Order: sequence, then structure tokens, then C-alpha cells
Amino acid sequence: MSVIIFTALLVLPLVGAGVCSLTRHQRMLEGVTVAVAGVAFAAAVRLAFIILAQSTLSSRNALLYVDALSSLVILVVTGSAFATALYSVSYLRVQLRLGAIEIRHVRLYYSLFNVFLFTMMTVLLSNNLGFLWIGTEASTLSTAFLVGFYEKEHSLEAAWKYIVICSVGITLALFGIILTYYSALSIVGGASNALHWTVLIKIAPRLDPGIIKLAFIFILVGFGTKAGIAPFHTWKPDAYGEAPAPISALMAGGLVNVALYSLLRFYAIVTKTVGAAFASHLLMFFGLLAMAVAVPFVLVQKDSKRLLAYSSVEHVGIIIFAVGLASPLAYFGALLHMINNAIAKLILFLTTGNLRLAYHSKLIARISGAIKVVPATAVFYIVGIFAITGWPPFGPFISEFTIATAGFANGNAIPVILFLLIVATIFIGFIYYGSRMVFGEPHHLLPPVQLHPIVDVLIGGLVLLLLILGTMIPPWLWMLVQNAAKVLQG
Amino acid sequence: MDQTVPYLIDLLAAAILVTTFLIVSSRSLIFYVRLFSLQSIMLGAVALLVVIGYGETHILVSVVLTLLVKAVGIPIVLSRLIDRIKVPKEIDFSVNTTISLLVCGFLVILANSVAEPIISSRPVSTAMVTKVLPISISVMLIGLFIMTSRRKAVTQIIGLLTMENGVFLSGLSITSGMPMIVELGIFFDILVAALILGVFVFRINRTFETVDSDTLRRLRH
Repeated sequence: MSVIIFTALLVLPLVGAGVCSLTRHQRMLEGVTVAVAGVAFAAAVRLAFIILAQSTLSSRNALLYVDALSSLVILVVTGSAFATALYSVSYLRVQLRLGAIEIRHVRLYYSLFNVFLFTMMTVLLSNNLGFLWIGTEASTLSTAFLVGFYEKEHSLEAAWKYIVICSVGITLALFGIILTYYSALSIVGGASNALHWTVLIKIAPRLDPGIIKLAFIFILVGFGTKAGIAPFHTWKPDAYGEAPAPISALMAGGLVNVALYSLLRFYAIVTKTVGAAFASHLLMFFGLLAMAVAVPFVLVQKDSKRLLAYSSVEHVGIIIFAVGLASPLAYFGALLHMINNAIAKLILFLTTGNLRLAYHSKLIARISGAIKVVPATAVFYIVGIFAITGWPPFGPFISEFTIATAGFANGNAIPVILFLLIVATIFIGFIYYGSRMVFGEPHHLLPPVQLHPIVDVLIGGLVLLLLILGTMIPPWLWMLVQNAAKVLQG
Repeated sequence: MDQTVPYLIDLLAAAILVTTFLIVSSRSLIFYVRLFSLQSIMLGAVALLVVIGYGETHILVSVVLTLLVKAVGIPIVLSRLIDRIKVPKEIDFSVNTTISLLVCGFLVILANSVAEPIISSRPVSTAMVTKVLPISISVMLIGLFIMTSRRKAVTQIIGLLTMENGVFLSGLSITSGMPMIVELGIFFDILVAALILGVFVFRINRTFETVDSDTLRRLRH
């Protein structure tokens, strides 16, 4: 069974990439990509239930390893990939028809989409932290051409910034991994498994505290850059703003969580080596900083996609802050928020993609009266905005509420009050721009371009999911999140 | 064990630091690339000495790859790129040479203090750790400084690669490199990164008619 699941998650995307790079047949490209993402998602669901039953799953040589934490993130990432793959079909067809892109672009897009999924799965399935690093750097490289997809000045600039900043970050993280390896070698000797997470977490109490602290700082900067926490977030608004809508969605719903996942793996080690206080203070500080940095850019914004990018900076901040609170309840809230934020970001980026096509612009000033032009999109968009800003009855409300409760419970009242103030302020910015785009009189000149109606069904499904997560979380998912939180407790 | 090998490693590590300083003070793009190539050759030599002196045969692959990829392959690609793009071959500094060298001197001191807890954590410190580790961290930090203070896209690529050389040297000094298969993956990533960045330099040049990354400042907020 484990072989089938690992194949579906890891080998299949690679095969998909190979097939896509060889064909120019549009339907084939679309079919293969949707099928790969769909099968991966199905495998991830199956995997979640296996993990609930037997808690871990690894390959025979222990190179691949899954526990509740990775299973949860795999579920989120493959789910995001499946949704964005479906959306891509309609989105690229329309762009092809409009003459914005050519068939060679379509081939490049789907090939890299599959490679992108493969690299993320490499990170999530690797037990060896070296491979985790390789997968992370490869995920930056595979998305570079997707960010610079339209080959315009702005997109080239965004792609350049994206690769350079993320590569620098990840190079620093490599030094952190080398330090960890060094510390482990003195305990397990020259064994080749000294980089395996399962080994490291076992010997964590015996690792050298000084070295592990230093290593964690490099790891935090490195994977923090990749997740886009302030002050290393500067690539994010550019990359999210310039990439095609489904790619922005997959980066905000998938890639961000992959980077956070890597950070959490090291967090578990460092907490076991030096106690919770060291890492937790760092994470709380950087979490609040990321949230605060997003505020001015959400309040004064011209571009509908950059608005969402800053929201992504904010929510990565929320998750990191929650982990920093370092209690079982806070971990639970943080992981739940990972799921909620991913779904909300999918809804918002995909509806913004619809709006961009309808108004031929992503500038907030050009978009108005969406409710009359593209009613379904407008409704989903405004619902998405209420959800992401923490309103009941949607998922993010539950997770943010859990995080705040956890913070008050373990005596972090002042940081939590700051947290709540920032969340409230960001709501003001969002509701101001959101209502300007959705309501009012439409004043567009060009005829709106519409996607296939199936896209509305897809986004409607995501909205429903967020509603379910806000009202009655399925017991199995609850269990999975709880078990994942236990992984963080060590 | 014979003392020649540790002695040679020290000497080469010091020479690597010197090339890094030369890169910082260099004004010509081609010279930049050649210095990087020289630095990589010496890095390959350090790795070879680790194989010979300490019997770490698993990094033999790294030796070959360092020489092939970093000392020959990437420099060739970059020199071709510099020939084909129409830019002044001089480097623009946003920080002048004197101040740059002062900053780098400061970075070396900083690197020593970062290395301190790592060195003292070990009961018996070998020369490999006490001398090479601070140098490797210096190279890493100076690479980062090159990236932030030099405006040309090509110089940013060199800065990134210099940083990676520093990290590789640190790996050699404290862990005798990573496991072979991990090392292979890292090399693959570096090669692909350099190629992709090269492609972008080319495209940016075509679109902007300049490869000054200062013009890449149109996206704000």
C-alpha cells in the first residue's frame, strides 16, 4: 500500500512533467495535469486515513517518512494543486483564445506545474533534511518561469527578485542544516542517517544547545524567506502580483505551507534540544512583525493581487505567531489556520483571476460593480474577504479564535491583544477595497471575458469547504490536526 | 598524520578569502568571473586534500563536480553571457571600494564571533575547524554583501555563487561534506539556478536594454 501511495504522490508528478514536456497537444497537457493532481489528492486523502490508523508510514529504506504533520500539509498542498489545475484549464484556454499566450507557453506551464508539484512533494515526503533542502530550492527554480510567465518587464523583474531572494535565503538555511548535521555526527558517528529527521528528533536532547540555537537562526531566516515572513517578504507581492492567477493561488495555498512545514520540522528539534522558550520568542516576534508590516500595504493598495500577497504575509505571520505561543492548543490553532488560510487564499486568488479577465485589469480602481458584471465571482470574492479577515461562520474565525484563546490561556495577553488589533485593522483595509470592487456602478469599456461556468462550481465548492470548517470540522480532520500538533510537542 | 595536508588546507582557505576580497574590489565583469573560477578551483583542491588527508572518499564526487561545474562550466556560461549582452563591462558600485573593503573586514570579524561557539563546542578542535570555519563563514557573508551592494545582474549571480562556495567550504571544514547523494542534489540545484538566472539576465537585457538591476525597481508597494 505504501508503495502505491508514494508512487502516486512522488513519481506520478514527475511522469506528468515528462509527458507534458513531450506533447503539444492541448487536451493531453490539460488531461495529464488534472489527472496527476487529482490522483495525488486522492492518495493524500487515503494517506491521511492510514496515518490516523497507524500514525506513521515510511519507505523501506527510511528515505521517505510521513507522520500526521506531513500528512496534513500533503493534504493541503495536493488539494490546492488539484483545484488550481482544474482552474488552469479554463484560464489558459481563455488566454490562448485572446492571443495573450501561445501553445508553447501552455506546454511550458503544464510541464512546470507538474515539476512544481513534484518538488513540493519531495520536501514533504523526505525524511532526510538534505533532500528537504534540495526540494525547497528546486521548488523556487521550477516556479521561476511561471512567475515570469508573461515575459513582460514587470514579470521578468518579479521573477528575478523571486529567485535571487529565495536562493539567498535557502543558501543560509543550508548552513543551518550543515550545523545540525555537524552536531548530530558527534553523537551518531559517521552514519549516513545523521540527517534523517526521525534520527535527529530522537537524539535532540543530546545535541549541542549552542550549535542548534545558531542553526535555528539560519533555518528561520532561510525558510522564513521562502515562506515570506517580514523582513524577507519583499519578493512576495511582486511574484504573486505577476504570476498567472492559478500559480499565485498555488504558491499562497501550497508553497507557503511547504516552507512553514520545513520550519516546523526544525522547530520540533530545537524545542527538544534547548526548551521551548528560545524558538518561541523568536517566532512570536517575527510573527507579529510580519503581521504589522502587512498593515500599511493593505490599507493603501492599488493592485488587487498585491493586496492578497500582503494578506499572505499577514497570515504566515499569524501561523508563526501561533506556533510561538507554544502550547498544544496554540499548535492546534496554527495548523488549523494553515488549512483555512490555504482555502481562503485559493478562493481569493482565483476570483481575482476572474475579475482580472472580466475587467482586463488587476488595478482596484478599474474594477467596480462586479456584482452586476460577474455576480457569482463577486459573491465568492466578498465571502472570501469576510472569511480571510476572520468572520464567523468561516474556518479562519475558528482558528484565529483558538489562537487568541491559547495565547490568553498561557499568559501572553499583550502579544495577543496586538495580534487582535492588527487583524481588525487589516479587516478595515480589505472591506474598503472589497466593497469598492464588488459594489458601485460598473464602468468598464471592454466586453468582459468569462471563464467556463465549471470554475464557479469549483470556487463555490471551496467556499462551502470553508463554511464546513467554520461550523463542523469533520472528526477525522480534527484528529489529524490534533495528531500533527502532537508532532510539534515532540 | 603528516602535517602537510592541514597546512595546505589552511593556505588554500586563506587564498579563497583573498579571492573573495579581490572580487569585492574588482571593477571588470570578466575579471569577476575569472576570480570566481579561481576560487572554485581552490575549493576543489581543498576538497581533494580532505579526501587525501582524511580518507573521506565520498566527497571525491564533489571534487569533480566543483571543478567541472563551478570552476569551468558556470564561468564559461557567464563569460559567453557577458559577451552577448550589450552592457558596459565595468561594474557600478552602490558602495565604493574603500568602504566595501572596510565592511568586508568587519564581516570577517563577525564571522569569527559566529564561529566561536561552534569551535568551542568540540572537545578536541582540529585546525580544519578552528581556521577554516571562520574563513568559510566570512566568504558566505561577503558573498551576501556582494549581492546587496553591486548593481549588475551578473554580479548578483557571482555573489550568490560565492555564498554557496562559502557554505560548501563550511561543510568541508566541520562535517567533511554532506552525504554524497545529498551533495549531488545540491550541485544539480546550483547548476540549474545558475542557468536559469543566466536566461533571465538575457531576457532582462532584451526587454530593458540594460542589465542594471537598479532599473528593476518599478514594482513598489
